[in-house]
Amino acid sequence: MITLSQRREVGEFRKRYRWMALFVMLVFGTLIARVAQVQLFQRNRWSGIAQQNITKTLELPATRGVIRDVADRVVASNRPSYDVHATPRLLLIPEDLERIANLMGLSEEETAELTARLAALPESRRTHQLELYSDISREQLAALETHLAELPALDIVTVPLRDYPYATLGAHLIGYLNEVNETDLRNVRDPGTYRAGDRIGRSGLERRYEELLRGARGFRRVVVDARGRALEGTRPQSLEVEMLKKPVPGHELQLTIDMQLMEALDRAFRQHPSGAAVVVDIHTGAVRALYSKPVYDPNEMSSGLSTKRYQELTSDPFRPLIDKTIYETYFPGSTFKVITALAALEDSVVDPMQRVECLGSIKIGRQKFRCNRRHDWVDLYDAIVQSCNVYFWELAEKVGLERINRYAEAFGFAERTGIGVNSEAKGFLATREWYKEHYGAFRPGYTLNTAIGQGNTRVTVLQLAMAYAAIANGGTLYVPQVVQNVKAPDGSLSETFQPRVRREIQVLPEHLELLRRALTGVVNEEPGTAYRARSPEGPRIAGKTGTAQVVSRKSRSGESSSAWYLDRSHGWFAGYAPADDPQVAFAILVEHGGSGSTSAAPIAAIVMQEYLSQPDGEEAQ
Amino acid sequence: MAIGRTIRDEFDWPLFIAVSTIALFGVLNLYSATDGGTTSDAYVQQLYWLILGFGAAGVTVAIDYRYFERYGWVVYGACILALVLVLVLGKSVRGSTRWIALGGFSLQPSELMKIGLIIALAKYLHHDTKTGGRTLGDLIIPGLILALPTALVLLQPDLGTAMVLAFIFVSVMMLTELKARSVVTLVATFVVAAPVTWFYLLKDYQKERITAFWSRLGGTQADLLDSGWHAHQSLVAIGSGGLAGKGFTQGTQTRFRFLPDQHTDFPFPVWAEEHGFIGAVLLISLYVFLILWALRIASQAKDRFGAVVAVGVGAMIFWQTVVNLGMVSGLLPVVGMTLPLFSYGGSSLLSTMLGLGLLMNVSMRRFSH
Repeated sequence: MITLSQRREVGEFRKRYRWMALFVMLVFGTLIARVAQVQLFQRNRWSGIAQQNITKTLELPATRGVIRDVADRVVASNRPSYDVHATPRLLLIPEDLERIANLMGLSEEETAELTARLAALPESRRTHQLELYSDISREQLAALETHLAELPALDIVTVPLRDYPYATLGAHLIGYLNEVNETDLRNVRDPGTYRAGDRIGRSGLERRYEELLRGARGFRRVVVDARGRALEGTRPQSLEVEMLKKPVPGHELQLTIDMQLMEALDRAFRQHPSGAAVVVDIHTGAVRALYSKPVYDPNEMSSGLSTKRYQELTSDPFRPLIDKTIYETYFPGSTFKVITALAALEDSVVDPMQRVECLGSIKIGRQKFRCNRRHDWVDLYDAIVQSCNVYFWELAEKVGLERINRYAEAFGFAERTGIGVNSEAKGFLATREWYKEHYGAFRPGYTLNTAIGQGNTRVTVLQLAMAYAAIANGGTLYVPQVVQNVKAPDGSLSETFQPRVRREIQVLPEHLELLRRALTGVVNEEPGTAYRARSPEGPRIAGKTGTAQVVSRKSRSGESSSAWYLDRSHGWFAGYAPADDPQVAFAILVEHGGSGSTSAAPIAAIVMQEYLSQPDGEEAQ
Repeated sequence: MAIGRTIRDEFDWPLFIAVSTIALFGVLNLYSATDGGTTSDAYVQQLYWLILGFGAAGVTVAIDYRYFERYGWVVYGACILALVLVLVLGKSVRGSTRWIALGGFSLQPSELMKIGLIIALAKYLHHDTKTGGRTLGDLIIPGLILALPTALVLLQPDLGTAMVLAFIFVSVMMLTELKARSVVTLVATFVVAAPVTWFYLLKDYQKERITAFWSRLGGTQADLLDSGWHAHQSLVAIGSGGLAGKGFTQGTQTRFRFLPDQHTDFPFPVWAEEHGFIGAVLLISLYVFLILWALRIASQAKDRFGAVVAVGVGAMIFWQTVVNLGMVSGLLPVVGMTLPLFSYGGSSLLSTMLGLGLLMNVSMRRFSH
């Protein structure tokens, strides 16, 4: 043995040990450098993931602020919706899916849809919660809750869902919510405000006051293991994140709107398929009713419309999607005569006592203009009460288009009222230049049409109501307001909206007084156009009837049955009540209602009687 | 040579202390990885294996290593036989057959094969008459000594162990001098062999791990499931440990089961998460010391057998450590590879302790003969 080992040279090996040692140190040097990189330089990144790994964040949605009417009646509130959320990474496929499908009673089609949805999810989203179903039924809830312990990937989240007790009533104004889209997410300042699947105020007040109403979401974090099982009461020392953030409820809105008045309007409109009405407080501009018919149901809009339902709504000839109080414009018809009369009075082009003979028609140039009947000798007062066109045509020639337009503008026409909710139409007043440009030349007949509210003048129902409010209150044009105040979640007032004056219209009080006497006569004197519509028991009201011709439109194919109706004139009635001590002004439009005196005026009479006979203190209910 | 004098004067205390410290750290780490022993009694098992391993090493030290030289082929043959038996009788775990039941516990013969290979190569080189300028022809017999066990291990299939065997072989052969021409030929052969291996020899799951690794290096986090997921969670554990760590038994990645195979292949992330960069460097330093110490023992060995055994054992520990650490720190693809002395696992610990026993043996007898 000794001789054997001595024979073997170890010298051959000797040169290699240093190189080997160097290699060993280089390799371990690299490893230590790598560990240093991961532990010292990338520490925050990996710590973040480690904390994310062991926490599951349960969202605590904020309660959206309740909206109430002027008498604290709830017009928008919340009810619980039970939503099924899942963390896709923890879902066992297909076992868990089958289980869920079973418990929820999903059809094969729905199950396939769910499977496809989960499969399409990018890897980066698999650790985040995803809403599988919202607003599940009580039965589904009961079934899922019984087996929730066996499905650690699932969570049932109670989310407040918006509820509109008055359904369609005031829906355009109140608005609705639907799911946020990518544009919303881009536009919001704090990107954490919304998550996919959240609902955002999409129209009306819900949209206008979104930031106040929505509140701020909160969350609760629980410690979970790799399989997503919650470990209650465990709190690793290295966990540096907040475990609970309570949601902050949204602010509450109190409207100036009176839902009882809205209901009264709705009842009064029963016989008419479409129309609009606005009632405003003449002393503040507070809007008491903003009524448009027909309307969609906001509850339905919130939960997402099917394509078919959406098409039904868009193809409805009475256009339920359009807010007829502020978004649509109409010829004002004879309700506009007050403006023509004021223009004439203010610029002293007429002696109100001077009589004009109405023979039932008038010939100007080659054109013959017809009055609604022969009124014989009428002065300004009679002409308003009986709505004599001939008188106003003769007046128009003296006043001229420019003066009429100037006073119309003063009363807020062709200008947005500034109500601040939804899109508002401006309306339109045609000028001499406009006529030249569009009709080639200006003819005197255009002025005559304008004087009686036909021509090319277009107004919104709200503009007309605001103008009549100004007539009733002595010339103050207010900005219409629909929100009275905002309350913080604890009930304290956080903002009260004061009346805002748009302008004081420079008119002589006695001219307004004359107009008001005439408007009272319209309803309360024997030949008055609205005399038949008056309610003898109720308070006296004042107003002006109007009939707006409808530009004959071609009926869409297949709608011939309603086509005749759609060519009928719109009926107007604008005024204020009570006649002797005005409180509210109104404008009522019955689309295709024919004459204003038979369609719109009775609505005003009924509704005002009901509204003004409410016991005092109603608002402080 | 009186044994009493040998123990006192020639016992390799630095080697013993380094090995014991790593092993002790391993048991502590295992205690933490099993939530203080609540989820399994693995750390107790590991203690038993450790006692057994130290016992086996003690026996190995007591026998003069020249006896291992004399019966080298017998040891090698026994290991080969065990590998054949695995294929015949072994139990299949997760698609590969690596274990044979031996009474109450399971044994992994491929682990013992590493020692068998080291002894066989040492014996061969010990008797080799050449002292330099070897040709490829001179590599045929050692190559066959490697090829036989490697083939058997690949049949299981156990890519990790096959790799370690090959690395041990290469390391040991680096001791010898090869002619430049032969080196060129070898490199050329590798260039041809690599694609063949990829397309014909690797199983799908093995390829998948390697692809996942490369895609991660390329910066795409696309595949975070399965193998990519393991490597990712391992980095999360190490990285979140920071400088000082989260504290003993406080590792969240460990306690909440985000680490796969945390007892066996991923004990380092557990350690690094709880003891931070300081602990990680301490542990790595112990391995560096151990391996450099093995090279020192080799350089002082009186004969070729002792030198090759020392280098072989050093290489075995070196490569396994490097591959395991490289894998858990995201530098290398995820292959099944234990961290010597530190990982949970009887066979792995036993074979490592046997190797270290041989190393001590060589160290203690460097002045004798």
